[in-house]
Amino acid sequence: MLVPTFALVFFVNLYPLVRGGVISFQRLTVFNLNNPRFVGWNNYRTILNDPAFPRLLWNTFVWIACSVAFQFLFGLILALLLAKPFFGRGLYMGLVFYPWALSGFAIGLLWSWLLNGQFGIVNDVLIRLGLLKTPIGFLSDERFAMFSVILVNVWYGIPFFAIMLLAAIQSIPSELYEAAQIDGAGFFRKLFSVTLPYIRPTIYSTVLLRIIWVMNFPDIIYGMTRGGPAGATNILSVQMINIVYYRNNFGLASALGMIITAILTIFAVIYLTLLERGEFEL
Amino acid sequence: MKKRAIGILRAIGLGIFLVVALFPLIWIFLTSIKPATEVYTFPVKYLPSRATFEAYRYLFSFARFNMYFKNSFVVATVSAGFSTFFSLMAGYVLTRERFKLRTFLILVLFFVQMLPTYLIMIPQFTMFSRLKLTNTLTSVIIIYTGFGSAFGTIMARAFLKNLPRTIEEAALIDGCNRFQALFRVVIPLLLPGVGSIFSFCFVNSWNEVFTAVLFLHTDSKMTVPVALYSFVSKAGIQWNVMAAGIIVALLPTIVVFSLAQKYIVEGLTQGAIKA
Repeated sequence: MLVPTFALVFFVNLYPLVRGGVISFQRLTVFNLNNPRFVGWNNYRTILNDPAFPRLLWNTFVWIACSVAFQFLFGLILALLLAKPFFGRGLYMGLVFYPWALSGFAIGLLWSWLLNGQFGIVNDVLIRLGLLKTPIGFLSDERFAMFSVILVNVWYGIPFFAIMLLAAIQSIPSELYEAAQIDGAGFFRKLFSVTLPYIRPTIYSTVLLRIIWVMNFPDIIYGMTRGGPAGATNILSVQMINIVYYRNNFGLASALGMIITAILTIFAVIYLTLLERGEFEL
Repeated sequence: MKKRAIGILRAIGLGIFLVVALFPLIWIFLTSIKPATEVYTFPVKYLPSRATFEAYRYLFSFARFNMYFKNSFVVATVSAGFSTFFSLMAGYVLTRERFKLRTFLILVLFFVQMLPTYLIMIPQFTMFSRLKLTNTLTSVIIIYTGFGSAFGTIMARAFLKNLPRTIEEAALIDGCNRFQALFRVVIPLLLPGVGSIFSFCFVNSWNEVFTAVLFLHTDSKMTVPVALYSFVSKAGIQWNVMAAGIIVALLPTIVVFSLAQKYIVEGLTQGAIKA
């Protein structure tokens, strides 16, 4: 009964991962699919010596750090607002959580219309409120593009954090709050002395998972800018897809893919070790 | 007095989150029902002078979205069906039986779950091209079933863990084998779980874009995300049509989500991590 799942996982996921490692040492494009040539570390050298590579790393770091930090912050606020029952809470949660299930790519396309530099509603509202004089090219101006894609990613990721944190908050025994109440603790005191310490394992696991996931989430950027303008929103994963789609260079893309896999594996090992040790449970 | 102030603050906070969450979707819907002439105006015209479905008509006649929609539907349904079936069996064995490799296999599943689709699409492409299966719906169905079975199994385990063993023990004593016990006794009790695994796999397959763009390049094979992807590079696609395409891409997942949200959320917090 284990066979179908694990045969598939091996054939579709694990073996290709190893195969990708082999391809990363080959010169392989769409045009020589059947007779690849081994080229040693050439592909890796090309990736690492690219003058744009440091910026790629920096962009990836900014993308992960800002996205996860604000997703967490707003997700926590939303979870705290939802912690106590109120009339219509189930319906409210359905309406607020829906972005979570949607296609990241379609969400990117959707927001690229809202943030459009000529006809976008966001520019329109900012100008009507008197905050702007002329429309901003949110996606076409290098200064704003990264900010814009992160903004959308934060919007997209709030529900996930809210769902996970809310579940954890609701598992806190109410006696803890009653005790804090008797001691005269206010809202912030309760938050920092009861709520946050209690849900710390959930915070750790969710944040770590989210870092892995956001690093490997090119969908929104691909829907909005495909890494542009002039590489302003290019992150590792987007760059890899661009190499596949536009340069058709599978060997080069695989080398970048292995670099991404190495980073992913480090995070995954940290995560799985903590999981094994029971630092947090699932 | 203080309590009332907190209540008002809370209502305002909840209101802001609601507006921010819903507005983009409402706006793209409004754009999709505007006449073409009212889409490109600045300052923006908020409401269409008359609602029109011309963008949707264009989409389903000239842009052949009925075909893309059908392809997506077939891919998502078939792969979710197989994933659910496979993951229930694997999840069942992994919860009920203790054996040497058990922990290792579970860790493998967690690791696979973290692998993004784009990262292994090249070797998958070379493998399937050797089998002459690229540019077929079968290829993406197989790939999505692989991903789906991995996280489906983790979800199935989460649901099965809560089910007391005694339930199927009687059936096993009566001479059922494991397979019969699972499908005759356990699964009927687990229907919400089964539904959420299926929905989860369906949504993920429906949304996948990068493998699909690489694999499916003839028009008759494209799924909805691939069609949207090709829209972006095509000149002359009006934004009301694009907006209609986005609505069509989002609608099925919104429907699935609203039907199964409670169970999906439950499965998610119990250990399925792919979001």
